[in-house]
Amino acid sequence: MSDTDPQIPSEEWLDLLVRELTDELTPAERSTLASAGSPELVAQTRRDLDRAAGAIALAVAESVPQALPPALQRRLEEQAAAFRASSPRATTVVPLPLRREAPAAPPRAGTGSAGAGWWAAAACLLLAAFAWFRAPQTVFMPAPPSEAKQQSEPTPAMLRAALLTHPNVIKFNVGATKDPAAAGLTGDVVWDPATQQGFLRLVGLRANDPRIEQYQLWIFDGERDQRYPVDGGVFDSTANGGEVLVPIHAAIPVHVAKVFAVTVEKPGGVVVSAREHVVALAQAS
Amino acid sequence: MSLSVLQRISSGDSAALRACIDQYGGLVWNLARRLSRTASDAEDATQEIFLDVWKSADRFDAAQGSEKMFIAMIARRRLIDRLRKTSAQPPMDPLEALESIACADPSNDSESASEAENAVRALQELKPDQRQVLELGLLQGLSQSEISAKLGVPLGSVKSLMRRGLIKVREAMNIDAEGVAARS
Repeated sequence: MSDTDPQIPSEEWLDLLVRELTDELTPAERSTLASAGSPELVAQTRRDLDRAAGAIALAVAESVPQALPPALQRRLEEQAAAFRASSPRATTVVPLPLRREAPAAPPRAGTGSAGAGWWAAAACLLLAAFAWFRAPQTVFMPAPPSEAKQQSEPTPAMLRAALLTHPNVIKFNVGATKDPAAAGLTGDVVWDPATQQGFLRLVGLRANDPRIEQYQLWIFDGERDQRYPVDGGVFDSTANGGEVLVPIHAAIPVHVAKVFAVTVEKPGGVVVSAREHVVALAQAS
Repeated sequence: MSLSVLQRISSGDSAALRACIDQYGGLVWNLARRLSRTASDAEDATQEIFLDVWKSADRFDAAQGSEKMFIAMIARRRLIDRLRKTSAQPPMDPLEALESIACADPSNDSESASEAENAVRALQELKPDQRQVLELGLLQGLSQSEISAKLGVPLGSVKSLMRRGLIKVREAMNIDAEGVAARS
């Protein structure tokens, strides 16, 4: 492309290499770079510029050192255990439907309506009324780290991290409701519309007795009748205030996930929720 | 000669994964915290970065720089990708990170201090508008057009400021990095 010395970067393609650090180049720009001077020089200059950008990031990171939060350290260690157990080159998300049947127990009788106000507020936002339908139930029990290290499959933490690398993954922040079981609850939902995979992460969720009640996840699809949210599965919390990571198994395809809600239901889940206990609502962040 | 953590990961030493977290967790977390919009995003980003690092361990070449530098490069790329994917809100610690480190004492006794030191020294020599453009582009994920619009500066000037600033930093790296000669 140039009649100048091919060993000297031209300003034009140097600018393109700089722009590569912050932007997607157009096909025409990529073509210009591909035909520019010596490929080795382009490659070396690209590495140098990337290294310069990395050095700036390193300088920033070292300016005020910070320790890793203990909870994140534990998640990383679990992720490392899963990485070790799986192929070190694994790059794809492997389905991990750790399924078991919901425990057989009589349905819990309806009680009170402590969460009704919050639910009503959410309902105003989302829908007129709920008429729920039943879908296959899935229960996930998060494995403790010691077990995770022995598994041959990636842990949910690793799968979630892998999912986050997918393009167009949407993140929803969990907000606690006024339900007593929701006190201090935080978390998020990550959802990939393309693969219909997702994870609900909750911190501070009260442990449940699955013989008495279970948590149930619902997905409100913007392209469906809001009275009919999609069943996202039933799950238990054994964390008792710690972190619960729940793979989401939508019973039917979700076109436009708008809101995720977690309710407390009888063992095995319900077809129509009594709307007594809504513990979490997650909307796009 | 003992192997570095990344070389150990590459050779299949499973204990090295934990060592990698211990050794570089603070670095990655600090960058993630600065270049993410929320603490939750920063946590997710940290997990993604470590996955990237472990998968890329066999690409680490000690002749091209330190492990810390290698990891910082991976982290920055991943964080910028994440910033680009989301809406145009600023990161938690927006702007002026480079201004503050440009005023700092670059001396540092960590093993790879020379690379960060060189970068700090180079940043100190840049003009404030060069630092600002580099910050917006390299640490906040803004495109050159977005920087131009944000600062009210012609696009050509943004390109020039960024190019010259980076070349200055690159030269500082080349001058002092072992085994890598300055080429321009």
